[in-house]
Amino acid sequence: MNLPRNLKGAVFAAAAFAAAFAASAAEAQTIRMWTFLNPAGNAPREKALAEMIQKFEAANPGVKISVEPQVWDQLTPKFLAAHRAGNAPDLVWVNTDLLGDALKTGSLADLGELFVNKWPAAMRDERNDGYWSRCAQGTKVHCLFHSRNYYGVIYRTDFLKEAGIDPATLTTWPAFIEAAKKLTVKDASGNTVRWGFGQQFSEDRADSQMMTSLLLSRQGDLFDAKGVAKWANPTGVEALKLQTDMVSVHGVTPRQAVTWSAEDLYEQFAAGRLAMFTGAVVRISTMQAKVGNDNVGFMIWPGIDGKPHSPAVMAGWAVGVWSGGKNKAVAGKFLEYMSTGVSDRLWVEVGGQLPGAPSTLADMKAFTSLPANAYLTTAALGVAKYGWIPSVEYGVGGYRQALNKAAQDVIVGGADPMAALTAAERRFNQQNNR
Amino acid sequence: MSAATARRPMGRLVQALVTGLLCVLVLVNLLPLVWGVLTSFKADSDLFRFPPVFFDFTPTLAHYERVVASGFLGSMGTSIFYAAVTVAATLALALPAAYAFDRFEFPGRQALFLLVVACIPLSLGAAALLIPNYVYFVEIGLTNTWFVLPLIYTAHQLPMAIWIVKGVIESIPRELDEAAIVDGGTHFDVLRFVMLPLTRPAMGAAGVLAFVGTWNEFVAGSVMVDAPSLKPVQPMIYSFIGFFGREWGPLTAAATLAIVPILVAFALLGRHIVSGLTKGAVKG
Amino acid sequence: MRDARTPFAFVAPAFALLGFVLLSPVVYAGWFSLQRVEYGAPTGFAGLLNFRRLFDSDSLLPTFGRTALHTGLSVVFTIGIALALAVWIDRLRPRLGFIVQTIVIVPWIISTVVATLLFRWVFVNDIGIAAYFIGTFTGEVSGILTEPGGAMGLLVLVSVWKRIGYAVIVLLAGLKSIPSELDEAARIDGASGWQIFRRITLPLLKTPLLLTAVVLTLSNINTVETPLILTGGGPSDATRTLAIDVYERAFAVFDLGSATALALVMFAGNILLVLAYVRLSRWRA
Repeated sequence: MNLPRNLKGAVFAAAAFAAAFAASAAEAQTIRMWTFLNPAGNAPREKALAEMIQKFEAANPGVKISVEPQVWDQLTPKFLAAHRAGNAPDLVWVNTDLLGDALKTGSLADLGELFVNKWPAAMRDERNDGYWSRCAQGTKVHCLFHSRNYYGVIYRTDFLKEAGIDPATLTTWPAFIEAAKKLTVKDASGNTVRWGFGQQFSEDRADSQMMTSLLLSRQGDLFDAKGVAKWANPTGVEALKLQTDMVSVHGVTPRQAVTWSAEDLYEQFAAGRLAMFTGAVVRISTMQAKVGNDNVGFMIWPGIDGKPHSPAVMAGWAVGVWSGGKNKAVAGKFLEYMSTGVSDRLWVEVGGQLPGAPSTLADMKAFTSLPANAYLTTAALGVAKYGWIPSVEYGVGGYRQALNKAAQDVIVGGADPMAALTAAERRFNQQNNR
Repeated sequence: MSAATARRPMGRLVQALVTGLLCVLVLVNLLPLVWGVLTSFKADSDLFRFPPVFFDFTPTLAHYERVVASGFLGSMGTSIFYAAVTVAATLALALPAAYAFDRFEFPGRQALFLLVVACIPLSLGAAALLIPNYVYFVEIGLTNTWFVLPLIYTAHQLPMAIWIVKGVIESIPRELDEAAIVDGGTHFDVLRFVMLPLTRPAMGAAGVLAFVGTWNEFVAGSVMVDAPSLKPVQPMIYSFIGFFGREWGPLTAAATLAIVPILVAFALLGRHIVSGLTKGAVKG
Repeated sequence: MRDARTPFAFVAPAFALLGFVLLSPVVYAGWFSLQRVEYGAPTGFAGLLNFRRLFDSDSLLPTFGRTALHTGLSVVFTIGIALALAVWIDRLRPRLGFIVQTIVIVPWIISTVVATLLFRWVFVNDIGIAAYFIGTFTGEVSGILTEPGGAMGLLVLVSVWKRIGYAVIVLLAGLKSIPSELDEAARIDGASGWQIFRRITLPLLKTPLLLTAVVLTLSNINTVETPLILTGGGPSDATRTLAIDVYERAFAVFDLGSATALALVMFAGNILLVLAYVRLSRWRA
């Protein structure tokens, strides 16, 4: 190993690198955006974003949209830190869980001033849903939601058909449980080769599970007005038992669910080992690529008291303009472009996700009427009528982990559901200083 | 070099035990690697076929195409640059420091050396202070520059490198450098003409450890820089375990590409490690 | 001839860098941890509030215990097995030794996230290749992760597997440098293989063993990825370690104040451990 020569090489490389960097930084007006999507990539959503950027730049010479892809779970904390230090990007995607923090720090500019106030009333009204209300503060609007996500039941269309089950009839919990039993398949020696219903109770990559929906349908929220957890009560016990009984009483969910992260569910489903599972609508297009376009369906949770469905968790990414940026007007212009018109269609058609405006979907009948795309209409209904999104008045970080831990305690440790929920409440309230 | 140890008698039982262990080790170490590489060539529909299949699938380069399209090769270039600067800077700083710690008596020597050792936890556990660290670097205006990562990585690798190189200098007879001084040389000359050639294997070893450490660093690499042209490989790999899930195809393709430079480094310098730490580590 | 300033001039650049990049952020973090942190930003002096909040949680002590157990077992097993492997590789022909050495380091050179994910998929997940074949033999799905003891055992196993390559390399390097005359002489004096290993080899491996112990201890204490990906800290907190606690405080709950406080406490513990190692081994600079 010849050190001096290596050193010399490194110095030359450094010089060349620095020169190249300096040259590329000489653009006129660059709008920086932090998101988890990489427009250079070729995943469907990435292609959609790349196409919008290209069209926007063509229509606005002199403006360059520079996407700086971030690791998704660090994106929002990093933005809040950068905001404090006065060095954040012009545009940012904020995770639902931390939206309240982003709003309270004043890090997101008022989009009303920038462009929303110029929209016709009808355009604003049709977007006035649960997402919109989280971004709106008084007369101001601080963000627009993208990558809209809705949690429900993802199922194998072919397995349900085989078993003679019509998903549209699964509107009560008993009917749902019966279907899950029917869908559970054992081999000759009694080993289960396919489970009727997959759930995940690991604290790693924890998504909302079925108990959330029962809790929401009975008490409207998971927290009280101050953000204190409301779980250790008879409704909570009923809800927790609903999901743990799927393991211990009905035998339709494997015991291994206590070790599964949300990712494991998608992989088990792709391996054909699950007929139905708790899942997110944004993941359906990738599942279709693995098990066939027409084999993946989506339904909203069953309901109680004669209602066809229970509310479920909505999530997504709130995109906003950084309040401390120098290019707010142009950044707002791109955000508006990215959220309306042609772009809204692109997100659906190329990206396989829900649009910002319901009318966009309504105008795409030819697209949404394909069986493989039916999930979009279902999810849009869920968002409009059966959605729940945590308040932005208080942080709710850690609630999914705490509830999953309660399920673990019951399934693995045989804990009493009420005791498990009391512990979960305590942990959540302590963590959040309530 | 260890002909004598080879003849050292050893209980049959122990030998059988060690051999058995090795067989397990080969299986346990290579199976995930092989599986990962095979996965990178599987189409989406083959990824999770059940029962799992080893070779019964039509190989595709689609995942590699996607990884390359996302700018992975550029990131590999960036990472190689970072690693090269880090290795060079680490060694350039470690050698004089190690020399001073071994050859000079000065007030606070032991305390300063313990301070170097105490820096090891700071480099291995830096992830825990991610946000305060980030704010610190933003406030001094260093984030998103081409030199911030080499700077951080050099600091991470330096304590260990000083320890290793110092160990080797211990084993170099003092008469050599004293003779050089008597002949009118400066301490810098001693470093350049005596220490540098004699510590070369240890420098190689410290360099390879620094290379691997830098190449596999994820946390600072994902937070301290934003521009795609400045992103190292690990955050790029991690981006395939994204918000939309673990995408095993591109993930394994990217990981497969990323181990190539390390394997090359080991093939070239693997023997150096063994002979290089050698003199360094033993004296004590 | 020896200018008193020379040694300082030689160590100064290294210390300037360490001070600038590693030590001052810790000072900054110390200041940060004494602040009331709201929405990710310090908003005023809060004294020891964040540190006191650590003790609100009744799970801190058991979490500490599990961290100690995980780290202790992982370090002991890694060094024990690595030592056996290093001795064995040392006796092999160079070419074969090099091949074995390369196989041993494979998990170490792959990034922790990818390595742990692959291990879990292949060996633990019932849809993984090895787990599937084991399952067809035993006729049942491995439930190792659903039992608290099994999950901790597996976590230790993966920790050993991931980091053993580093230990083997460093120990092997130490072995290679032991002058062969030493054990020749001992053998002539009638010493057995075990006696030679115990009385000659082991004492001469002091520094590499110390290095390995330090690095392994610290990386096991501070790893988030291994337990998070393998077990998520479960079942029922059986594998929840301090590092996961810091991670969850910072990135799930976004309580940066107490996360930073806990991280600083861990750093202090780490540094004390390193100094204790150096002390106990009577190692001198």
